[in-house]
Amino acid sequence: MATQKITIEPVTRIEGHAKVTIHMKEDGTVDHAYLHVNEFRGFEKFCEGRMVFEMPNITPRICGICPVSHHLAAAKAGDEVYGAPPPRPARLLRELMHMGQVIQSHGMHFFELAGPDLLLGFDADPAIRNVVGLIQANPDLALKAVNLRKYGQEIIHILGGRRIHPVFAVPGGVNKALMPEERDLILSGYHKALDTVKVGIQIMKGWAEANQEDINKFAVFPSGYLGMVKPGNTLELYDGDIRLIDSDGKQMELFDGRTYLDYIAEHVEDWSYLKFPYYKKMGFPQGVYRVGPLGRLNASDRMATPMADAELKTFKAINSGKPVENTLYYHYARLIEALYAVENVAVLLDDPDVLSTDLLNTRHDYKGEGVGVIEAPRGTLWHHYFANENGQLERVNLIVATGNNNWAMSKAVDSVAKTYINGQVIREGLLNRVEAAVRAYDPCLSCSTHAVGQMPIVIEMVDSQGSLTRTISRGAD
Amino acid sequence: MLSLTINNQPIEVTEGTTVLNAARQAGIEIPTLCDHPHLTPFGGCRLCMVEIDGFRTLQSACTIPVTNNMVVRTDTDKVKTARKFVLTLIFSERNHFCPYCQVSGGDCDLQNAAYGESMTNWPMPPNWQPYPVDASHPNFILEHNRCILCRRCIRACSELVGANTLGVEERGVKTFVIADLNVPLGQSSCVSCGTCIQVCPTGALIDRKSAYLGHEKNLDVQKTICVGCSLGCGIQVFSRNGQVIRIEGDWDAPINSGILCKTGRFAPLTDDRQRLTTPLVRKDGALQPANWEEALAAAAAKLQPADQVAALVSTRQSAETLHLFKHLFADGLKSSMVTSLEEGSATSLLSQFAASKGKAFEGTLKDVEHADSFMVFVADLVNQHEVAGFFARRLMQNGAPLVVIDTGENPLNNLANCALTPRTGKELDLLTGLTAAISRLGQNKAVFTGDAIAVMNAAAEMSGVSTELLLEAGFKFASTTRPVIIYDATPVQTQDVLNALVKLAEISGAKLVSLKGGANSLAAAQYELDKPFRLNSHQAAYVVLGDENPSEHLIKALEKAPFLVVQASHTSKLTAAADVVLPVTSWLEQDGHYLSADGQLQKAEKSLPACGTAVRTNEEALKSLAQQLNLTAVGNWKAELLQRLSPVEIAA
Amino acid sequence: MTKPKVASDWLAGCAGCHMSLLDIDERIVTLVQVADLRATPITDLKEPDETGVAVGILEGAVNNSANEEVAHRMRSRCSILVALGDCAVFGGVPAMRNFFPLEEALRRAYVETESTDETGKIPDSPELATMTRARSLQEVVPVDIFVPGCPPSADTIFYVLSELAQGRKPVLKDEKLSWI
Repeated sequence: MATQKITIEPVTRIEGHAKVTIHMKEDGTVDHAYLHVNEFRGFEKFCEGRMVFEMPNITPRICGICPVSHHLAAAKAGDEVYGAPPPRPARLLRELMHMGQVIQSHGMHFFELAGPDLLLGFDADPAIRNVVGLIQANPDLALKAVNLRKYGQEIIHILGGRRIHPVFAVPGGVNKALMPEERDLILSGYHKALDTVKVGIQIMKGWAEANQEDINKFAVFPSGYLGMVKPGNTLELYDGDIRLIDSDGKQMELFDGRTYLDYIAEHVEDWSYLKFPYYKKMGFPQGVYRVGPLGRLNASDRMATPMADAELKTFKAINSGKPVENTLYYHYARLIEALYAVENVAVLLDDPDVLSTDLLNTRHDYKGEGVGVIEAPRGTLWHHYFANENGQLERVNLIVATGNNNWAMSKAVDSVAKTYINGQVIREGLLNRVEAAVRAYDPCLSCSTHAVGQMPIVIEMVDSQGSLTRTISRGAD
Repeated sequence: MLSLTINNQPIEVTEGTTVLNAARQAGIEIPTLCDHPHLTPFGGCRLCMVEIDGFRTLQSACTIPVTNNMVVRTDTDKVKTARKFVLTLIFSERNHFCPYCQVSGGDCDLQNAAYGESMTNWPMPPNWQPYPVDASHPNFILEHNRCILCRRCIRACSELVGANTLGVEERGVKTFVIADLNVPLGQSSCVSCGTCIQVCPTGALIDRKSAYLGHEKNLDVQKTICVGCSLGCGIQVFSRNGQVIRIEGDWDAPINSGILCKTGRFAPLTDDRQRLTTPLVRKDGALQPANWEEALAAAAAKLQPADQVAALVSTRQSAETLHLFKHLFADGLKSSMVTSLEEGSATSLLSQFAASKGKAFEGTLKDVEHADSFMVFVADLVNQHEVAGFFARRLMQNGAPLVVIDTGENPLNNLANCALTPRTGKELDLLTGLTAAISRLGQNKAVFTGDAIAVMNAAAEMSGVSTELLLEAGFKFASTTRPVIIYDATPVQTQDVLNALVKLAEISGAKLVSLKGGANSLAAAQYELDKPFRLNSHQAAYVVLGDENPSEHLIKALEKAPFLVVQASHTSKLTAAADVVLPVTSWLEQDGHYLSADGQLQKAEKSLPACGTAVRTNEEALKSLAQQLNLTAVGNWKAELLQRLSPVEIAA
Repeated sequence: MTKPKVASDWLAGCAGCHMSLLDIDERIVTLVQVADLRATPITDLKEPDETGVAVGILEGAVNNSANEEVAHRMRSRCSILVALGDCAVFGGVPAMRNFFPLEEALRRAYVETESTDETGKIPDSPELATMTRARSLQEVVPVDIFVPGCPPSADTIFYVLSELAQGRKPVLKDEKLSWI
């Protein structure tokens, strides 16, 4: 009897292009499931020859969902290349823009991309299992969600002149001061944004209570966890050291992100255009780790703002202080970070330096090489530039947020496929759970494949010789 | 006058007017790219094509002169289709990545032209042939991918600056903008004036410093004048958040008509000296932050008439400040040592000479702009007062000869028709010899008394410059109708040399134009702030340094001052040695009047806010001090500028 | 009255154009009243209806065999095809890769990069799409409406979709026209 391969293509409600193939054994159980990231754009090559100061405006085109991450990582790498640390007010404004992005990205992911699964159900009709269905089912909540995203986007717009691909950070600082009326405008939306995040947290907790079984059998597995921290292992998103813990929560490394090459390497599999980063000292695949909200919360001991810190304690209690392994808790972790981001907006806006016009360090101490590290919404992002004496790039290396989770996503897909699918009956809703495993990581495949782009899910059934016997792709009947 | 109609609108223009300029006069817009009002028409981009009755094909409006009864149309479908086609060709020829280009979004003429035609796409895709990016120059970048070969940069480099560094190689699709014989811009003969970036219609020539700091619509713009030297070029200062983003030449400025030198355009952007933002007072041997009241009190305690205060002021300060300074120290504190940091080195000789002649004796920069031969006498027009050098260079390429006289290696020697190098100290002989040579050739415009041949031979003997060279230089220089001698009074040293120069000018019919050091050196001279500085029994010294860099000579001269007050914008060795430091504005943060080298009185406008709340303008700082000392300044700064005879007519 | 069906997809791009679509904020409520959003990256239908849609929207450059398939399928199933954003309109930033041989770009990413370990190799599984030169959409299929911008503004996208939903051809000029 022929074995089968199921292909899910495209994986939807994720950012980018991927497909999942599920290889079936003869007895109808899952042999192995693969996540193929299917696009390659080649930023690491075609940025060669460009000017370092152009990078904050070229690299955001890697990703339109978190363009600010690339904008700021490139500017931070530029600060290093030019030897021009930004003045404190510029740092504050960069962080403010970053918070805007975390709010819009996390908000959109929870309510508009993952939300339909949680609010309408994994098994809901795919024709309505989306943000439009959400608008029809719960218009009030949908509008709140839209406004939360709008709040984050408007912070970016105020600082960078536009919501997507803003022009704001430059090596050595930023190009625009925050005006008092702009500060007040942002502050006026603070409470509403905070309320919406809190509503999201309540929804998440209610859903978790009602769906403990799914949560506990849905891609729960050990791994390392990696995220940026400030002293005291306080979660940090803009600038700090990188902390790596093992699956028991023990610290393995605490390092300056600029020295990443001593700690992180990338493995290549020929079935994906997305590479697999891992902790160098343990090798692949023993050294794999997870990043993004779950990774960061596991890797930190506290949050810098009170409400988020209180929520973190609840989160830590899930696994009695040990790292939380459940993939579906990514959503919870994401909301706690959104809470921190909203609170942090107010903290930043209260800082007396935030209205300063001391925004650009023009004293250069040219180094020619620089690493910029930032916590993008989806995880740790590295930009590494090597420039010639004229400030022209000779080499570029990028390790992108979602890439760090590549192994985990593949593992999650495999795990969910094995848990939920057997070859006898394949319901759409089960396949949607496979997608949801990917979706929980909020993969930004345009990002990770700066390199690459298409994430379709098609289920192909392949026999043991590898030839295709049947394709199930949803959307078609 | 000629009559024509454009889009049925009757228009009258003078003969020689192009159709483009006729349309502009009538307020009819014709899109252009290669055209620039300050450059000769080129007709390269073909965007300005118009329909003219009687012509089989469309004509480029920028090059075709109006003829009587011409009937022109700029708004037909044929014209609009042609414009889109031209733009499509331009876009597909190279690689215009609008999304991240720094001029995209308002500052790109090419993109704006496409918007003007409501273009949503280019039907012809580029062939994605990559072009190099020349980043070898410290100030700007030549990005060939965005070059549309309009040759504005090349024409500016030649017609406005006279540098002729930029040119093209190859023909047709291989045409390529190059520097010199295709060397990297940073290793070329480029004078780094940046006029090319000011005229580039796309992002092909871009300024490193202003990249991504804001489009013109986001920036504050202030017209003012440069205080980098005594020429007084008009500039536009573009700023944001109180920081200067870039500086451009002011096309409407009477002195420079848009061009600038590297000092004017780039030096203020690369100034990374540490600003002073709070007064400092020396306590227990160390400078400690203080408020203005404390600092002024500490200064005033030691600045009394009995203390014999020596006072120095920067010639980068306004006439108002210089005037106040003079009255405060010379009249109020009865100080005998009140002068400028330049100590009159570039002007005192000229002032004395004017006094002895009883009138002004120099010409103006307009004479330089319209000269047909030049003599440069011990002046460095490559590293200082560069714009005057550009005037000369751009006329030289039209055939105006250049004679350079310098005891050492003058940077213009390699461009000169004749470079005369007299022995050190024998400049006077050379000038005398040259005067005689001109007379010997019969080119003298005034009577020469004496034996021209004998004088010439004796001068050649003394100066070490052959009679052949004297005759050649004399002929080249004096056989023209509008010769100009540009000289620098600083190294001239003696009245005798100046006398000989004036004699040479008389004989050759030349105008004399001198460079005068700092931006307001002439004003300082008019206020008699021009004597040599000596620190003798003075018990205190007060220096209005402003934003100037203190010279080692000055620091040394003030080493022995028992008490030193420095009014400065930046920290320096001099402020470190001071007992009281008063923080003041830089040139862009204050306003006031300046007297240019050729006697034009111009106002510098405040272009930036003060760097911090505790920073006062130089004038305010002096007023505060006067108040502290219970002194009142008297007199009228403008009237007193005219009280002394000046080497050049003052147009105030 | 039945609402016109609208389907969209993304090719080699950054998803920014779809994010700009979401930037219409609360106007999405108006949009879903006038248009029937079918298969899009933010909904769960995987392909445009075989019975056809009125408007098909594609973001991104055509960069590989999978993109080509999507472009052809969309073209064959929609009445009006919209190229959304600079990548679809002229190739956009991904077209910068055309300056280098594809092989070199792949080698840099999967073999030479400083962090790539000794397992580095160019992925070549048959599951993966075959890379091509990055092309604008109109180099691959005929395009009816071009909406440039990186990304086009939310206002522009809302205007374009509203006009198309009401059977009118949008005209992009003045403040609605931007290439950045």
